Amino acid sequence: MKRSVFLLLIAPGILLLTIFLFYPLVVTLAPTFSNNGPSLARYLAFFSDSYYLAVFFRTVWIAVVATLVCMILGVPTAYFISRRRRSKSFLMALSIFPLLTNPVVRAFAWINILGRNGVLNSLLLSWGWITTPLTLLYTDFSILIGTIYLFLPLMIVTLVGSMDTIEEEVTEAAESLGASRLVTFFKVVLPLSLPGIVVGSVLVFTGAITAYSTPNLLGGNKNMLLATLIYQRAMSLADWTSAGVIAFVMIVMTVVTVMVMQKVSRRLDRR
Amino acid sequence: MSYAVLENIRVSYDGKTPVLTDLNLSIERGELVSLLGASGCGKTTTLRVVGGFIEPRAGRFTLNGVDMTRTAVHKRNFGLVFQSYALFPHLTVFENVAFGLKLRKIESASLKSRVMAMLDITDLGALANRYPRQLSGGQRQRVALARALVVEPQLLLLDEPLSNLDAKLRLSMRVEIKRLQKKLGITTIFVTHDQEECFSISDRVAIMDKGVIQQFDTPEAIYSHPANEFVARFVGFTNFFNLTASGTGRCLNNLGEEMVIDEIRNHTGGQTSWTGAIRPDDIVLTGTEVSGTNRLTGSVEVRTFLGKSYQYELETKLGRVVVNAPKDSIFEPGTLVCAHLPSDKIVLC
Ligand SMILES: Nc1ncnc2c1ncn2[C@@H]1O[C@H](COP(=O)(O)OP(=O)(O)OP(=O)(O)O)[C@@H](O)[C@H]1O
Ligand SMILES: [Mg+2]
Repeated sequence: MKRSVFLLLIAPGILLLTIFLFYPLVVTLAPTFSNNGPSLARYLAFFSDSYYLAVFFRTVWIAVVATLVCMILGVPTAYFISRRRRSKSFLMALSIFPLLTNPVVRAFAWINILGRNGVLNSLLLSWGWITTPLTLLYTDFSILIGTIYLFLPLMIVTLVGSMDTIEEEVTEAAESLGASRLVTFFKVVLPLSLPGIVVGSVLVFTGAITAYSTPNLLGGNKNMLLATLIYQRAMSLADWTSAGVIAFVMIVMTVVTVMVMQKVSRRLDRR
Repeated sequence: MSYAVLENIRVSYDGKTPVLTDLNLSIERGELVSLLGASGCGKTTTLRVVGGFIEPRAGRFTLNGVDMTRTAVHKRNFGLVFQSYALFPHLTVFENVAFGLKLRKIESASLKSRVMAMLDITDLGALANRYPRQLSGGQRQRVALARALVVEPQLLLLDEPLSNLDAKLRLSMRVEIKRLQKKLGITTIFVTHDQEECFSISDRVAIMDKGVIQQFDTPEAIYSHPANEFVARFVGFTNFFNLTASGTGRCLNNLGEEMVIDEIRNHTGGQTSWTGAIRPDDIVLTGTEVSGTNRLTGSVEVRTFLGKSYQYELETKLGRVVVNAPKDSIFEPGTLVCAHLPSDKIVLC
């Protein structure tokens, strides 16, 4: 393709990105690097403030645990789905279904389940397993549950796509060589799905870090995450510069995650 | 009792359309048996029943007298080579071949020597550390073979293992497979739809059509005495005509003319009608009309050049006849020719 044509074709995209992404980003982030002249003082302040640090580590912790749980739940489920013939599209539709409903609605569902007078507490009380209702809502636990529920479909869909590329004959060959189904899974299926697991994990991890409505509705004010913190700084306290600092920290986190995982994935995928 | 026996195997994927119907096959120890047939006739299905990937709806599969119909795949100890090779893409050539031995908890020194010995036999020694994607088609094929053979399987199952290779490689690989199979004495089932390949490599051939074995015999027997019209067509007979008996050892064609057929002596049962068949190569064409038995006059309809010979389609009173004739005498379309059907070349089926 001629260079001029090529430039012409990508021009609209570049223009849109510049106006609606790069420009606002620069305008928001520029003040965070200045304090009467260029400086990193605001970032140093962020990382020496114990409250900010607590929010930062809570965010990372929740993202890591959510990623691990999605991985552990998603891998077997995805393998099961990818080996179905007739029921495959139905099962796929079933796993994608939650993605089609609004995250806010889904968070409200969890409020109904986990609340003091919610479904779970009522059941446990009526079975006599507990005597006073458990505090489940507005804790790290409820954020975690909501986040896992939010992103598990993404993990499953990514993994099914990756596992579909494993030829059935390859697993059959393993079986014929004496590997039971379980051994075949660990020795053949799992190593071959590692790239998919990595991609799925990146999606879940970055999604969990940036999700806003779920931690907002299920975490409350006591259990801030970075995303809810940004909102609070910017909208409630009108402190746009602090919000910008947090936003940049989040951007760096996600970019670093993606880069590291890409490296890992290239290492693992020796095919 | 034969080594591997399939008895009345019945398979249907959807419960309605039968794929295999009462299939019977007995294979002797150390034999290489081929399943030959057109696409979709059930060759792979048969192999998958033997391999344990499909449970038949009825029937039994026994190996060495032991019923294995419901034995799990990983407990059968059969070697499998697929058309797609199905190598483990994340493992090196060495690791691919060692896969089965590792699962058998062979201690590492003897594992290594066994794998290396197998790699030497299959001429892969220098490639031990490569990944499958770094190999040519022929090399992959040999890895698949080595991986299946190294575990000393009770039965080797090959599903069109040569179909992805070019013509030259096919030839050398099939000699290679035969050599290894005889050397290791492994009973083998080989699936193919290439007749020449199948006849050259097999001790016995099962010709299949629509899930039924039409004939199971040595390549020579099938080639010269096809059991029925389907088999005859499969092994190159293109000309067929009806015959009816007229007294012992004699028969007449549709026109009421007597045909002399040597093979009729072997058909002394009460049979009164047959289908006669002859290959295009075996018919002799002459320009001048010669009268006598087994001669047919016809006009040349189509002539095609085959390289070594010409192929003619003749319109005769017995119908269309296809003849391959040498290049030294050429007949133009429209001319009348005389076709001689030698009595020793006509088979009855
Ligand atoms: N998984 C399946 N589900 C439904 N029908 C199937 C399935 N596999 C095969 N069949 C049908 O069973 C019949 C036999 O198939 P099979 O694969 O055994 O043929 P084949 O002789 O190996 O053919 P080819 O030479 O093309 O490999 C075919 O009509 C095919 O359509
Ligand atoms: Mg097949």
